[in-house]
Amino acid sequence: MTESASSSWRVPATGAAGVMLFGFGGLLPAYLASDFTLKVANEGLLLGMLALSVAFLMSEAGLVALGVASVYGSAGYLFAIGMSEWGLTPTIAVVFAFFALIAYSGVLGALIVRTNPLAFMMLTLAAGEMVSHAVMLEAVHDYTGGADGLVVNFKGAILGVQAADFVNPRYFWPIGWTAVWLIGVTLWGVARSRLGATLRAVRQNEERMRFSGFNTYLPRVIAYVLVNAVAAVAGLLHVLNTGFVSPESLGLGVSTNALVAALMGGTAGSIGPLAGGLIFAFAQDEFGARGATQLLTGVAIVLFIVVFPRGVVGGVVAVLRRIAPGLVWLRGKA
Amino acid sequence: MLKIEGLSVNYGSLRALTNVDLEVQDQGILHGVIGPNGAGKSTLLDAVCGRRRPTAGSVRYRGEDITGRSVAWRRRHGMSRSFQRTSIFPDLSVREQLVLIAQHLGDDRLDDIIRLMDLGAYLDQKAGRIAYGVQRRVDVALALIGRPSILLMDEPGAGLSAVETLRLFEHLRELVSEQKIVAVVVEHDVEAVFACCGMITVLDLGCHLATGVPSEVRKDSRVIAAYLGSAA
Repeated sequence: MTESASSSWRVPATGAAGVMLFGFGGLLPAYLASDFTLKVANEGLLLGMLALSVAFLMSEAGLVALGVASVYGSAGYLFAIGMSEWGLTPTIAVVFAFFALIAYSGVLGALIVRTNPLAFMMLTLAAGEMVSHAVMLEAVHDYTGGADGLVVNFKGAILGVQAADFVNPRYFWPIGWTAVWLIGVTLWGVARSRLGATLRAVRQNEERMRFSGFNTYLPRVIAYVLVNAVAAVAGLLHVLNTGFVSPESLGLGVSTNALVAALMGGTAGSIGPLAGGLIFAFAQDEFGARGATQLLTGVAIVLFIVVFPRGVVGGVVAVLRRIAPGLVWLRGKA
Repeated sequence: MLKIEGLSVNYGSLRALTNVDLEVQDQGILHGVIGPNGAGKSTLLDAVCGRRRPTAGSVRYRGEDITGRSVAWRRRHGMSRSFQRTSIFPDLSVREQLVLIAQHLGDDRLDDIIRLMDLGAYLDQKAGRIAYGVQRRVDVALALIGRPSILLMDEPGAGLSAVETLRLFEHLRELVSEQKIVAVVVEHDVEAVFACCGMITVLDLGCHLATGVPSEVRKDSRVIAAYLGSAA
């Protein structure tokens, strides 16, 4: 079969497979899995979203962000404070929190994306740590609850979804699943757009890009804001799901987990980080029960950087390519 | 087209270029820049294209002082540059990188550039995996996109054999003549420069020594003493 003939059915076949996976994946677990399993899976989905944002920045722009949790946790705080202190409706509070974090990311990104990758990583870490300590300050204790965090109760609906549905793991799963698919497809599309091509070219040879007439600064700021928008969505879903936000959700631990999840699943493409988030959540649940969460993190970092640098999904795709080289649709990223 | 006045560049206490004046306006010919190691040839190109800010002096392009303009601005206004070390995108295919830059600069004659640089057979290969000589041609092709009116090339023959260098220079001469480009070429291979360049500038220890057609430069006693020696 020629490549052009095979490509004529490849797109509809992939689309049909995607629609089926989306449909079954969104509905079946809610019927088949226990509440506890779904609760862990929901945590995995949210971690997968964060991993998607970290992985996108790594694979497209060559930048590692260690402060993604500061946006993730801040989304919850801003949502809670918006409702409790300023009397915003839940929907308005969600919109406010999202756009406030977009603005914060834009300003921070404009300041730090000019630096080299190592300095960028350290600056995102520093910014994240500053935010996580700021919520503990005595001066803002009445707003943030200090080390105790905030319980977030709200009544009514957000975008047509009732408050109680966010808390129920059986109802939250299809919400999270839909959100993660929308985000994954959006990032996949951006990676294949001119912006994605520009980011990869800047990552490979910034000087040549400048000498080709490109502004190499703005695309990286846009990418930084985009991945923080994803982190903000994940943070908002997290607070709606758990009804609670604490300084822990802003800390380095969450950022590191997102990075490890991205490495576990594979940073190229949208499926790998999501799979990594789910694997990490279940592994963390298993290891955490034995008090060995840090051991899991350490082993996973070593294993997936040294032995499986393409992650689980990247490794599976590589094996499939070797077994069945005729499967031309595997040429793309996993 | 390009006028350099009193250009000086210092690296700390080291004076890499001292008060260099140069005017390049002949379209369609290669303007070679030669000189011994440390003469300031690459520094001259760096200062002209905006990669390095001059300590003193000015660079005028089409009558406008562009000394303070950014690299990207110069490129968008027709000043292009290739590098001594091949500067391409190793993980992109040859086609991807050419198309990306052609789209950005609004150049619709990519097929002509591919034909001129003889890259048709390599379009779908990752640039990092093709032979070095072909990578050099990709580098020059990237510099040719966007209909540049000035092309600055830093040792396009670096890493190539003498035969390959001569072939590349003949290629460049044909290209520059066809496209009516003002082309400045820094090169160590004196034979290739004398064979293919219509004008030659000689630098020595950061100072301008001579500019002229090859036959004049070859006879210039200062050039013979400083650089050519018995090669003249």
